Amino acid sequence: MKKYLLWIGLLFAAATAWADPPPGYPFVDYNAGLAAARASGKPIFLYFGRYGCAWCDHTNKKTFSDPALKKLYSDHYVLVYVDSESGRRVTLPSGERITEAELGVRLNAFATPLFVYLTPAGEKIVQIPGFKTVQDFRDYDRYVRGGHYKQQTLLEFLGGKS
Amino acid sequence: MRTLALLLAVLAWPAQGAWQWSAPLTVNSVQGAAIFPHLESANRRGVAVSGDTVGVVWEDNRSGSPQCYLATKSAAAANFQQEIRLSQSDCYEPVVIALGAGRFVAAWEEAGKVHARVLPGGATLKLSDIEAAQITLAADGDTIYAAWAEQAGRFRRIVVARLMLKADALDVKTVQPVEAAMPSDEQGWPALALAGDGSVTVAWEDRRNRHTVPMVSHSPDGSGFAAPERLTDHMSGSVDGLGAGTGAMRPALAAWGEQGIAAVWLDKRDFLSGYDVYAAFDTGTRRFGKNVGVQDSFGDNMAQWHALIVGAADGSLVALWDDARDGTPDVWLSDWEGEAFGDNVAVPGGQGQVSNPIRWRRSMLQARCMWCGWIAMRQPARASVMHAPSGSDCWS
Repeated sequence: MKKYLLWIGLLFAAATAWADPPPGYPFVDYNAGLAAARASGKPIFLYFGRYGCAWCDHTNKKTFSDPALKKLYSDHYVLVYVDSESGRRVTLPSGERITEAELGVRLNAFATPLFVYLTPAGEKIVQIPGFKTVQDFRDYDRYVRGGHYKQQTLLEFLGGKS
Repeated sequence: MRTLALLLAVLAWPAQGAWQWSAPLTVNSVQGAAIFPHLESANRRGVAVSGDTVGVVWEDNRSGSPQCYLATKSAAAANFQQEIRLSQSDCYEPVVIALGAGRFVAAWEEAGKVHARVLPGGATLKLSDIEAAQITLAADGDTIYAAWAEQAGRFRRIVVARLMLKADALDVKTVQPVEAAMPSDEQGWPALALAGDGSVTVAWEDRRNRHTVPMVSHSPDGSGFAAPERLTDHMSGSVDGLGAGTGAMRPALAAWGEQGIAAVWLDKRDFLSGYDVYAAFDTGTRRFGKNVGVQDSFGDNMAQWHALIVGAADGSLVALWDDARDGTPDVWLSDWEGEAFGDNVAVPGGQGQVSNPIRWRRSMLQARCMWCGWIAMRQPARASVMHAPSGSDCWS
């Protein structure tokens, strides 16, 4: 098992060398994240980024640099990074294997960064495109972990504030 | 109101009338709720016509693991014959080209290496000894080229091989990387095209500029390649020190006219509306010109996916892709009209939950003859093909 985890770690370390997740966060790839979420029962925070993406870089520097946000998301979510142009393969909860780029097609990802919250079983809760602030991510956390998504849309929960 | 409707019908006639499609034919004989066929491949070479036989390759998981399959149908047959399995281990992104007289060459990634085989009858040839993927093929008569992305140190780079055909056997005549230097970042998804003068063009997506950019190189005879150039004329970079540039990915190539090569790719230069399809043309100078947007203004505000280009010797050219402008991801096409791409036309059988167009086009006589394939994603998922014109003369 240790050997398996080491290989996963090494593979993801190689991958992250040419992708853009925020530094210092325990992001893993999609397949490892789905397995970890099933095991832990934690929701998934999926960061759909792009290599060289300016708005991703801006979000990393401006928002994900916040230590409290880092702790909040690292403690309560399985963090998954997906490279929107990658041919790396992922296995969806349905069992279908597609590429990370194809996942963007399925999500209709028209812009990066795109942030997708998923249940521990990998079902989509909500997806949010574009630059967001620390407070935005705190609001989304309350919406997801508070279970409000079961009764309200995100906009309803936020009272019209996007 | 009736006058307006009549006017709209008349205006729509040239675009709709240009492509009269046959009824769709299902290719994969085994379907099920958890069986997922895929047509994804480098340069989207999933269908080919050889003599009076059409062949289609795809990957699905019916056996519990991803395997690659080939199905064929003769002109006289009403349906595809039961498919044959090409692979033994996990297999991805198969491609197929025609040799003539009902023979094909298929290639695919299996167990992390790339393979090729003449069909029917030939033996499988392993083309790479090290990790490789995303293989594509191009042929002109018995001259066959393959290109793939191969591990070279930390990253993959593009390799081009010239294959020899003897009866039903393939052999590697030459194999070389497009660039001798080790890659400084990831390269992948090569596309190949052979121009009328026998020269070889290879395009691929490349991250050496710290963002994804389609690059292209040429060789007069496949023995040595020119220094790569960008396909994109949009020189993006970092913004206020942030990022490295906009993304552009999955180039596709087609021979076009007597000497030309046409290219399309997905381009995010307008980053708020997803990827758009852009095209560029090499008229025979072995240099691609300015970029041209492909989708019309109705498709401009949404993401396009899975772009490919189909050329013919008479200079006709058509681009295909899918987008969801009508609420579902339908296959669309647009003819090149000399100065710009024309109105976008939905491929009628490809409406609904569809994706991943693939193609083959007759290159010599019937320039407007084309096969188009796609995945109908609504469960149980099906791989389907159809041809235009709808008559029985769409064979090589």
